[in-house]
Amino acid sequence: MSKDNEKDTKANETPSANDAGKSRRNFLKFGLVGAGAAAVVATGAVAVKRMQGIPHDEFPVELNDDFKPIDQRNQINVFCGSKALNEKHPERTRSFNEMLKKEDPANYKPFDFYATRRAFMSGPYRDAPGYGQLDRALAVGGFSSARQQLGGGSMEAPNSGVSSWEQTMLVDHKYEFESPAQANTDIKSAARLYGAIRCGITKRDKRWDYDPMYSVSEEKELSWEKDFPFEPKSVIVIMTEMDYPAMATAPAWIQDATVGDAYANAIKIAGQITIFLRQLGFKAVASMNDLGINAPYAIAAGLGEGGRNGQVIVPEYGPRVRISKVYTDLEFVEYDKPRTYGVASFCLNCKRCADSCPSKAITFGDQTWGPEYSTDPDYIWNASKGILKFHNDAKKCAKFWIDNDGSCGNCIAACPYNKPDFWHHRLVDAQNVIAPGPVHAFMREMDIFFGYGNVSDPDKVHRFWKLGDKV
Amino acid sequence: MMGMTWYFIGLVLGLSLYVLFKLRIRYGLEWLPLTLCGSGIGLILFAAAWGVAAMLEGVPRAASMGLLLFGLPGIVLTTYGARLIANAANLSSEGSDA
Ligand code: SF4
Ligand code: SF4
Repeated sequence: MSKDNEKDTKANETPSANDAGKSRRNFLKFGLVGAGAAAVVATGAVAVKRMQGIPHDEFPVELNDDFKPIDQRNQINVFCGSKALNEKHPERTRSFNEMLKKEDPANYKPFDFYATRRAFMSGPYRDAPGYGQLDRALAVGGFSSARQQLGGGSMEAPNSGVSSWEQTMLVDHKYEFESPAQANTDIKSAARLYGAIRCGITKRDKRWDYDPMYSVSEEKELSWEKDFPFEPKSVIVIMTEMDYPAMATAPAWIQDATVGDAYANAIKIAGQITIFLRQLGFKAVASMNDLGINAPYAIAAGLGEGGRNGQVIVPEYGPRVRISKVYTDLEFVEYDKPRTYGVASFCLNCKRCADSCPSKAITFGDQTWGPEYSTDPDYIWNASKGILKFHNDAKKCAKFWIDNDGSCGNCIAACPYNKPDFWHHRLVDAQNVIAPGPVHAFMREMDIFFGYGNVSDPDKVHRFWKLGDKV
Repeated sequence: MMGMTWYFIGLVLGLSLYVLFKLRIRYGLEWLPLTLCGSGIGLILFAAAWGVAAMLEGVPRAASMGLLLFGLPGIVLTTYGARLIANAANLSSEGSDA
């Protein structure tokens, strides 16, 4: 072969070798881009799935043999409201006062659960944003409807007003649902129409029921077997939303107004579902904070997960919800499964509620089987045992409410899960469900850095009172 | 308000993609400047949507932090990507002059 020919051949070969290299590189590039896109899509799909919660066949919180249903007489609001129980248990007040004196001797003032509670939300107006006559009026107005619906009783009162045990408007003919699944959907459709933001249906579980129940107005115990009008089989759990801007003013009196308003909506819906069921021929009783504990029922019905602050953390709403229930003898219904949403793991690293709690009622520790703040039986009379959760001291919380002359809500307002319905929060939620623990600690810091969850902020009070412009 | 924001973001995004595509065809651009520019524009639009949402929910600090954390890197990436595109455009026009 001549030299010229050789050259020609090489010249002819070089571009094709280049082309091959280029197409290999392009192939690699496209491969990388494709793999990246596939990874993003797969992660997104996992996040979307996890945001719907991981379903469980069993209650997703561990219990041991020490666990016992709660006696309603030991429920803090019931005890605070009952003269007879306070007279029967002076050691409880004594023990609490000893603790107060020990923790802060300089500012110690004797505390009486019953006497102080009587004056709740009726003290003088204060010269501070969120504590004036306007704010108090808003709070009292907010609670008025719930109180009226409950016959003037407290939220814990059984057999009162809308929660009456009398089976009025019960029809003889029992409606036949197409299927248990259809019964589930029909009930939830009714709940949606009546105004529920979430509704779940679960089996009645005696572990979560107060036993015995207690009526403060009559100062008497009530029994499931002797007093309750039927044997409940299912519990319908209903949720209503509290207003984000009002809750953001916590612990100002304005947040009381949205608590009361959400209570009113919750008991209204429970009352309507009760009549709906009775008109279908099933016995039913509406319940606010009486009959059973709302949080485990809501968890069992798959509506949320228990948080460090003792509230149910609900996807998209966080702890900014109120819960009511309907106990019914309807059994032909499909039950919702409990679901976990990664809240317990987030709470381990977050602790914003504990930081913002003015009474230090919320634990900074991990989940335990019982309270760790005291071993004195005269002090821990209201605590549950044998359940692996964050154990908080509800007595300290009750005391702050009384000192504040209104409730508090800091642990709701400060929670990173408490966000209004905007796209960027849903994006962060999606990120949180797939991210591991250390990322949660980072997200907590980001939440603070971005200015969310501040409490005792006068600006939020001013902002709240400007929202009327938008109506 | 958020609906209008998405609408405008959609318009800007569509327009940006169109312009980048045209530039690629015209100057035979490599993937690096296009990716940088595209990601930068994406971040700027993300920051804008974040800012509007945060203002609407009444948390101005979240809006400013969002603009700072997402918008600023977006501007840096877009600027750098645009410079690379301009260089490529200059080279290609020099090549065609020759
Ligand atoms: S309501 Fe207030 S005092 Fe009670 S636990 Fe929550 S933050 Fe603490
Ligand atoms: S503030 Fe944090 S620790 Fe407390 S309940 Fe909410 S997520 Fe959990």
